[in-house]
Amino acid sequence: MSEAHEILEVSGLSVDYAVPQGPGADIRAVDDVSFTVDRGEFLGIVGESGCGKSTLLFAVAQLLAPPAHLASGTVKFKGTNLVGLTDKQLSAIRWRDLSVVMQSAMNALNPVKSIGAQFQDALQAHGKPSRKEIAARSAEVLRMVGIDPVHLKSYPHQLSGGMRQRSMIAMAMLFTPDLIIMDEPTSALDVVAQRALMVQIKELQQAYGFAVIFVTHDMSLTSHFSDRLMVMYAGQIDELGATRTIFDRPLHPYTQGLLEAFPSIHGPRVPLKGIPGNPPDLAAIPSGCRFHPRCPHAVQRCTVTAPDLYPVDGDLVRCLRRQDGSLPDADQEGSLSR
Amino acid sequence: MTSTELLRAEHLTRHFKIGGLLSRRTLHAVDDVSFSIGEREIVALAGESGSGKSTIARVLARVYKPTSGQVYFEGKPLSAIRSRRDGLRYASLVPMVFQDPFASMNPVFRVQHGVLRILKLHRPELSAKQRLGEAARVFGVVGLGADMLQRFPYELSGGQRQRVGFAQALAMRPKLILADEPVSMLDVSIRIGLLNLMAKLRDEEGVSILYITHDIAGARYVADRLIVMYAGQIAESGPIEDVLSAPKHPYTQLLLSAVPDPMAPLAQVTDRGEPPRVVDPAPGCRFRWRCPLAVEQCSSVTPVLAEVRPNHEVACHVAQTGAEVRAFAS
Amino acid sequence: MAMPVSSGVQAESPAAQAPAGHALARIGRAIRSNRKAATGTILLLIFVLVALFPGLIAHDSPTADAYHPRLGASSAHLFGTNAYGQDLFAQVVWGTRNVLIIAVVVGLATTGIAVLIGVAAAYLGGAWDGTLGVLTDVLLVIPLFPLLIIIAAYAHGGTTIVLIAAITLTSWSYTARQLRSQALTLRNRDFLEAARVRGERKLYVIVMEVIPTMTSLIVASFLTNALYAVLLASSLQFIGLGDPNTVSWGTTLYWAENNAALQTGEPLWAIAPGACIALLGAAFALLNYAFDEIGNPALRPVRRSKRV
Repeated sequence: MSEAHEILEVSGLSVDYAVPQGPGADIRAVDDVSFTVDRGEFLGIVGESGCGKSTLLFAVAQLLAPPAHLASGTVKFKGTNLVGLTDKQLSAIRWRDLSVVMQSAMNALNPVKSIGAQFQDALQAHGKPSRKEIAARSAEVLRMVGIDPVHLKSYPHQLSGGMRQRSMIAMAMLFTPDLIIMDEPTSALDVVAQRALMVQIKELQQAYGFAVIFVTHDMSLTSHFSDRLMVMYAGQIDELGATRTIFDRPLHPYTQGLLEAFPSIHGPRVPLKGIPGNPPDLAAIPSGCRFHPRCPHAVQRCTVTAPDLYPVDGDLVRCLRRQDGSLPDADQEGSLSR
Repeated sequence: MTSTELLRAEHLTRHFKIGGLLSRRTLHAVDDVSFSIGEREIVALAGESGSGKSTIARVLARVYKPTSGQVYFEGKPLSAIRSRRDGLRYASLVPMVFQDPFASMNPVFRVQHGVLRILKLHRPELSAKQRLGEAARVFGVVGLGADMLQRFPYELSGGQRQRVGFAQALAMRPKLILADEPVSMLDVSIRIGLLNLMAKLRDEEGVSILYITHDIAGARYVADRLIVMYAGQIAESGPIEDVLSAPKHPYTQLLLSAVPDPMAPLAQVTDRGEPPRVVDPAPGCRFRWRCPLAVEQCSSVTPVLAEVRPNHEVACHVAQTGAEVRAFAS
Repeated sequence: MAMPVSSGVQAESPAAQAPAGHALARIGRAIRSNRKAATGTILLLIFVLVALFPGLIAHDSPTADAYHPRLGASSAHLFGTNAYGQDLFAQVVWGTRNVLIIAVVVGLATTGIAVLIGVAAAYLGGAWDGTLGVLTDVLLVIPLFPLLIIIAAYAHGGTTIVLIAAITLTSWSYTARQLRSQALTLRNRDFLEAARVRGERKLYVIVMEVIPTMTSLIVASFLTNALYAVLLASSLQFIGLGDPNTVSWGTTLYWAENNAALQTGEPLWAIAPGACIALLGAAFALLNYAFDEIGNPALRPVRRSKRV
């Protein structure tokens, strides 16, 4: 992945939440996260509630609002550091080169404006298109996502959940950006609509060549669609690598636990254990490795030393025992929890 | 196959009037649904939004009255429940667990509030001390420490709150728990814990559960039988392994092909997933517009549930002819 | 665009209402940490103390015309005397009691009626909502101040009780509408449905489950109604519809106006009671803002940490 192909480079990003007790007690929701995204790449970010994935997304898109603030780090988009840019400078990039699809269309779409009017707002915010151009482009993006352009006149509540989400994606495509960031866009949808939306996103990506960062709590959703997968836990990256590799041989015990928590339709019915315990309270992080209280392979040093992200076998893993090779390899069928 | 039948729904129908003064239309949320639930079994009621599964739960919980049809619990019809005492008795035998862990507990009161109120209402013979003891006991059964009783809901995680929901249901000494999508708002790794809890309640406490969900994989993990609903009607029902290994209804096949499974190759699904809103429907199969196998009969005659294999019923004209149904690859 | 408001501290913990058990301790801490609350509380406490122990603060009788009229401010008469030779400081101090009584009683009565009618209408719905709604709306539409004037005029000399009754009668409907709106949003919350499904009676659900979750709006209503009671009562007294023999800020203003105090070089006669009305009103308003911020963390001013 040479630099010429990189479209996004996030380095050392940390996000804190201010608390009433004062600056010293700030809670770190995202801790020193670094990763890159290539042109046309589909990166999946996966983690449970509270792991910081949504905060990370907002930080990359420069949408953080108090009490959240960027504590450190850079976000280089096509070579320019987005951190510290003024609103005016950001708005030149927003939507043209980088757009965002939110979790719930009902929250992001204006309920009293028609879809067409909202597309018009977006188009006019970033240029001076004529009426004809607005109409043409709006109809074009709706057709891209498989919605009849007659719905430009519809209000959000008149559309089904699936159609709403697709119109959100259409809106994000208005300027054919280079990077679209999506925050759990399918979580409010039923399973068939979810599948249809994922396929749609992938098709658009292949047709128009934009990169996608896709945040979700459901790992299996991204398994067939993402090129690389990033697993987050308690504000840190725990594993990062090619999607298929991670699914075939997950290295981090947390990733292994996540994969084992999915009951399957095919194959034999086996009892599953999930991951015992709960994600940690970020105000009281465990010492050493953040995952050690829930880890079936934790040893003494895991409670003392905080591991770094370390390259193992082509992936990046944050695990002391993987670092020194002392963790037994999991075979694909067997369950480590036995 | 269970020995005793606990609950039986016969031709259950529930309609809602919608529209203003000028256009009165009828929403057919549930139409002519018949099924039964036995002792010590978990029945999964699966379907997408608008399938009618939540409405059925609320009819069984006596939040709605059926528009027509009848529900029998332990042989007695629900319509015979008149007095407050009979109503309370039924509520304790058939309690409900709700979907949203953040909204199902009153944030102003401590966690023990719901359980203690339930014990006061349904088991008045207990003293205050016995109530506290019983509250601690049911919390233990669902895997929560007794110290949780004194906490406030905001201090608990989503998974812990759902366990409180099950504890409240257990406090009533129920026969059948109506679980309305109890895990769909939880993280995936937490769901397993609650699914295991449901299996434990069936095996150790002898409770039956009606598990309403849109997650087929989760249903397979825990349920004995599966009822698939579409547009207010039952499309297919039977022992869960039978239905999942050889689905006969095209809709069931569509659902199965859309379930994300990292270990299976991606099935091609072109359907957009737009479930219908059934308002003043014409006769005929409600799935016909999305069904690649639809024939002439499907537009005029509404299919009726009929057995195609032992205990395995389908409501589909094509399937009932005995032809091999392969509508969607899975 | 949606912004992250709640922190990722606890996995999925939404901003919650004040739990009943910790209420007093939490209020104490909140007041100390919030500038508006602290100022408002101190002001209010000063007035309450003055109302409780007026004799200790002002040594003169407010009604005795014992002094030389039209004296300026001095150490013997902190606000001077009025045209009748009464000590103005004593008038203002003793008048505090009357004003505070009106404010608190009206606040409680208005909010109480509004809670009952508003929440019941929302929860019971249907015909109940319709009937109570009509009742509320009729009173809402009638202009407040003219109605008050008519009532007070017909009552032949508005004693304190008449004032309280008149203001309460005309004020409750606005609050009832507000509370009804909030109760409507709560009506379909799962925990209420859960309460019904477990067998609770409707009245129990209204009193024990709905109302406790509305405490911040109810407190805000109380403070707003108290504030308006102060202003309305003083206004009525000022235009002569109160009992001119009661010692109150409004009546003092009335007499000041009658004697053209501002023009004849006795400005303190009007300014002193006027300032007190403004300060007490400000106290209630500050407390109102403060409770908003305490109840809804999203409204709190955030002090950004200084970057090193």
